[in-house]
Amino acid sequence: MLGLKSKKDTSPQKTITEISELKVTVISSVVSIIVGLLFGLVFLFIIEVIKETPDMTNPFYGFSNLMVEGFSSIRSIIKVLYKAAPLLMVGLAVGFAFKAGLFNIGATGQYTVGAFFALIAAILWQFPWWAALIVAMIAGGLWGLVPGIFKAVFNINEVITTIMLNWTALFFVNLLFYNNPGIYESRERTMNLAVANPSAILPDLGVSDSYFNIGIFIAILFAVVIFIVLERTTFGFEIKACGNNKNASVYAGIKAKRTIVYTMLISGALAGVGGGIQYLSGTVPYTVTSTTLLPMGFNGIPVALLAFSNPLGIIITSLFISYLQVGGEAMQPVYSPEMVNIITSVIIYFSAFALIVSQLIKKYMKKRLGGDEATEETDVVLDVASEEVNKISTPKTPEEGGEK
Amino acid sequence: MDIIVIIIANTIAYGVPLLLVALAGMFSERSGVVNIALEGIMIFGSLFGALFLTSNLMGTDYAIAHPQFMVLVAMLISAILGTLFSLLLGYAAINLKADQVISGTALNIFAPAFAVILAWAVQGQGITDIPLPDSISLTSDWFGIASANLPDWLDTLLNKKMYLTTPLSFVILAISYVTLYKTKFGLRLRACGEHPQAADSVGIKVLRMRYIGVAISGFLAGIGGFAFVMASSDSIFTGQVAGYGFLALAVMIFGNWKPGRILFAAFFFSFFKTISALSTDAQLASIFPTFNLESPENLYKMLPYLITLVVLAFTSKQSRAPKAEGIPYDPGKR
Repeated sequence: MLGLKSKKDTSPQKTITEISELKVTVISSVVSIIVGLLFGLVFLFIIEVIKETPDMTNPFYGFSNLMVEGFSSIRSIIKVLYKAAPLLMVGLAVGFAFKAGLFNIGATGQYTVGAFFALIAAILWQFPWWAALIVAMIAGGLWGLVPGIFKAVFNINEVITTIMLNWTALFFVNLLFYNNPGIYESRERTMNLAVANPSAILPDLGVSDSYFNIGIFIAILFAVVIFIVLERTTFGFEIKACGNNKNASVYAGIKAKRTIVYTMLISGALAGVGGGIQYLSGTVPYTVTSTTLLPMGFNGIPVALLAFSNPLGIIITSLFISYLQVGGEAMQPVYSPEMVNIITSVIIYFSAFALIVSQLIKKYMKKRLGGDEATEETDVVLDVASEEVNKISTPKTPEEGGEK
Repeated sequence: MDIIVIIIANTIAYGVPLLLVALAGMFSERSGVVNIALEGIMIFGSLFGALFLTSNLMGTDYAIAHPQFMVLVAMLISAILGTLFSLLLGYAAINLKADQVISGTALNIFAPAFAVILAWAVQGQGITDIPLPDSISLTSDWFGIASANLPDWLDTLLNKKMYLTTPLSFVILAISYVTLYKTKFGLRLRACGEHPQAADSVGIKVLRMRYIGVAISGFLAGIGGFAFVMASSDSIFTGQVAGYGFLALAVMIFGNWKPGRILFAAFFFSFFKTISALSTDAQLASIFPTFNLESPENLYKMLPYLITLVVLAFTSKQSRAPKAEGIPYDPGKR
């Protein structure tokens, strides 16, 4: 990375290169998204053919609903923002851990614990919304701290610990639920916040729509703070150094173990706030389940991956995924809203090929610019693109267990 | 006595899919490819197995006379579809050198959505569950013994939650062990996961070996998914496998990437899971202390996960992952 920077600085075409770097990342993301959407359309046709009574106009209507719904009315736009807020938080949680080379697949557990403690604070303790959010943050953070400590002290892969803690979180929350009768309305769900404690509902800034609250602004604020931490502070540098090469960072005097613990603590806290934002909106009660984990935490993974774990990019991708989800609901009842996940998965699959896409772009640029000058410039671009891929590459699982 | 038999029967029922899928993960990781897509492969494979078992074919005379043959065919369908699906991971991870965790995650998102949509399209709107026919379970009659002639405990053990995949999984375990440690192929596969450059230098085709590793992984995960649907999910395909793919990943790490220890790890986990499941059993619940808690079964349900964590903490020193796993093979890097 340092070598690359000096190369850039000495280059007379510094500004052009920097623009191109962003361009290539954006172009390859856009290409992935277009491929994913096209695949979705083709998939709709295939599904229609399998049906007993195929109607070939259905795929077109379904697809246009998917694409248009998110913009169709003010209410839809508000819904997109509403759904994006918790997505943005869990996306940040996953992306922040990725930066340190950790795969926090346990965002869903941290989210669940955060959500439930926010409700405990709101209903049982009668806290105002901001204090309940802080409680959610602490609870999620502590839930993320455990895998961090296991990783740092015992060198146990965080994938396995967070998976175990996801299920533990679910049953732990159920246990708390049943043993605090004050919190539930029935044996299935928690009290309605509007009745139990209206001051715990996130403020709506005077917009009278049940889906509108300041959640998305809180989430964006967090994204900006995380961006600043990563790009402008020593701690952020240490995190990225750990993620790029743990051994080298230890050699350079970075306390890798401490960094890992803090990273997981913060990652868990971010997911916890996500849970708080979702359930303090007052639109949904927490419903007890003991067979499935809450899907929200897992949705953070594609959000982070699509943005190459860049906190500011995560703002955009969470809005995009949320827009698709709102559109997906509009495809009912002809198609299942799961269609959105098909499209998301194809987009992620292709974005993993970022390197290939950027190579194609490089070829194209070479052709257009021609000559030797262009070659050097695009080489740098390619380096950057491949580095971008490296950045998001997650920990190489199970790890140097035996070496230490 | 009865309790012990029930515990054994349930431990086997929960443990078999874990064992199969953990072995699946082992083959892929030993060849150097991290396979986080196990969950997705299980769902994708078992979806087609379940569709086969509920298709019109099952109404034919032959199928009614030979239900176990049909189960075998369904299992092979699951395995083959699992293999095909896993090749998507192989292509991204091996040919295109993409990040293996990312492409694996893509498959994990795709499979459950695909299962719901296909089940919805095939069975009609909103119906996502595919219940399997009753004839699929193994009974003592199938072995030629009338169940009335058996002692009670053996009857429980053989006639409840026993499926074709149960005995087969132990055969697969034995074959896996022999393949990995006693054949030339196994040695080569392991070499590709430890030091692919060294393997390449003695003429082993690293990329091909990794493809085979991923394909075996898909094959076994497909069978494992099918076993899960039959044994652990009350014979209903619901479009998800309750996180078993990820649990199997944990079992594989717990089992230190070795077949024998994976067997132990799978049944260790499923034993505690069985115990925790018994806490909701109407007759047995009274045995479990409640600690004055409301719905104490949630406390017991946490146990298998917490105990696994504690055991991992104590055994972490011996843990040893294949060295080159997760790193795309680059012949230029020595």
